[in-house]
Amino acid sequence: MKPQRDNTLVDLLDRMLNKGIILNADVIISVAGVPLIGITLKAALASIETMLDYGMMEAWDESTREWYKKDLANRNGKIPLIEGETIFLNLFGFLWSSHGIIHEWRPGTWHLTNKRLFLWRKEMLFEIALDRIGELKVMTETHLNMERNVLILEHGDGVERIYVSDILVLREEILRATATRHEKTFPKEWVVIEQ
Amino acid sequence: MNESFGDVAIQEGRYLYAVINSGAEFDFGDIGINDNKIFTISYEDIAAVVHSCQAEAYKTNDNDKAKEWILAHNYVIDYASKQFGTVLPFAFDCIIRGNDETIKNWLIRNYEKLTKELKKVENKAEYSIQFFCDQKKLQAMVTNSDPELKEFKEKMDKASKGAAYLIKRQFELKLKDAVAVEISMLANDLCSKIKEHVEILKVEKNTSQVPDKYMEMKPIAAFSCLVHDDKIENLGEALDVINKLDGFAVRFTGPWAPFSFVEVKDD
Repeated sequence: MKPQRDNTLVDLLDRMLNKGIILNADVIISVAGVPLIGITLKAALASIETMLDYGMMEAWDESTREWYKKDLANRNGKIPLIEGETIFLNLFGFLWSSHGIIHEWRPGTWHLTNKRLFLWRKEMLFEIALDRIGELKVMTETHLNMERNVLILEHGDGVERIYVSDILVLREEILRATATRHEKTFPKEWVVIEQ
Repeated sequence: MNESFGDVAIQEGRYLYAVINSGAEFDFGDIGINDNKIFTISYEDIAAVVHSCQAEAYKTNDNDKAKEWILAHNYVIDYASKQFGTVLPFAFDCIIRGNDETIKNWLIRNYEKLTKELKKVENKAEYSIQFFCDQKKLQAMVTNSDPELKEFKEKMDKASKGAAYLIKRQFELKLKDAVAVEISMLANDLCSKIKEHVEILKVEKNTSQVPDKYMEMKPIAAFSCLVHDDKIENLGEALDVINKLDGFAVRFTGPWAPFSFVEVKDD
């Protein structure tokens, strides 16, 4: 597939009116004249709300990540942390939820801490202590012909399906967190005694 | 700073198109907005591409005139890119009050930032990628994979006219949510497929109106990407794979000057 430059104007509009170097100094005469562009031209820009609603920006856009994080934190309210708990990682993502007749991907922010892994969106949607995390597997599923990697997390009571932008990063971080935790809480000799 | 130029010079301005990676003097000819003569003002190894004008913004209510100006602005940027490699583009209608000396001072003041940005975009260009998905196929897929929606649908078919209406409303609300979640996930999937071929990826809030051939399709994601010239072929191949999937379409445009990736704040 080769990039095209058909219908150039619509592609240029958003760039030229909202992007590029913009001067803020007192030498400036005008910035991106809003009055310049008639209604018909502006109407050529449609918005994609869904991605914003579900935190795509946080997941992918470096420049707005900071803003979005703050916004998300405000919307979410204060996340209840246990004493001595520190957050290693937070990632926008989903958990497959299957209760009775309701089966759905629930969106939220995955938090990995030194004590647990939890999914938060306004409320606690799911949480599990690190020492209860069993095997982690990456499974490839197909949706509308497109491959999607999903993280399968096994624990004592069952299996969870987790989806984030970067499955491998999450998996690695969980493994690292659980390893550190085990080292701290159960030094090798203790484990031997327990067994 | 303006005051030092006095009342006469204050009327004078320079319309800015781009900053280029060369200190050479260069005459572009009369290719600017309203056929203005385009020239460079340099400092060390960088230069601003400008035309001389009144210190007054370009304004019009005439859409055709506006289009012509936008295309002329981009034409100069394209021309400069062909001559000097990737440039730092200015937004439309940026005019500095003053003369060549004023521009030179601006270049001096911002030299470090500008050279850093020029380095960042060297041998790279901006591309726009938009993904579309067949609305009906998406809804069908979501409905089929969700037992609750499936049941709603069955109830709807059996129910009396009045009851069916209420169930339909519930069904539609639930479907809308489920589709939104699925789109968000698909957008993530798409991101992971192109990520390795791009230097920087930016999510776009806006996407240009769906071209005719995608009319039935729903835009699911739009990105601006800064892509290295060496990787453009690989990116094209990755997009080709997605474009050929049943139910998906990709719109891939560019190369553009790196409008979405210049971060120069004149402070």
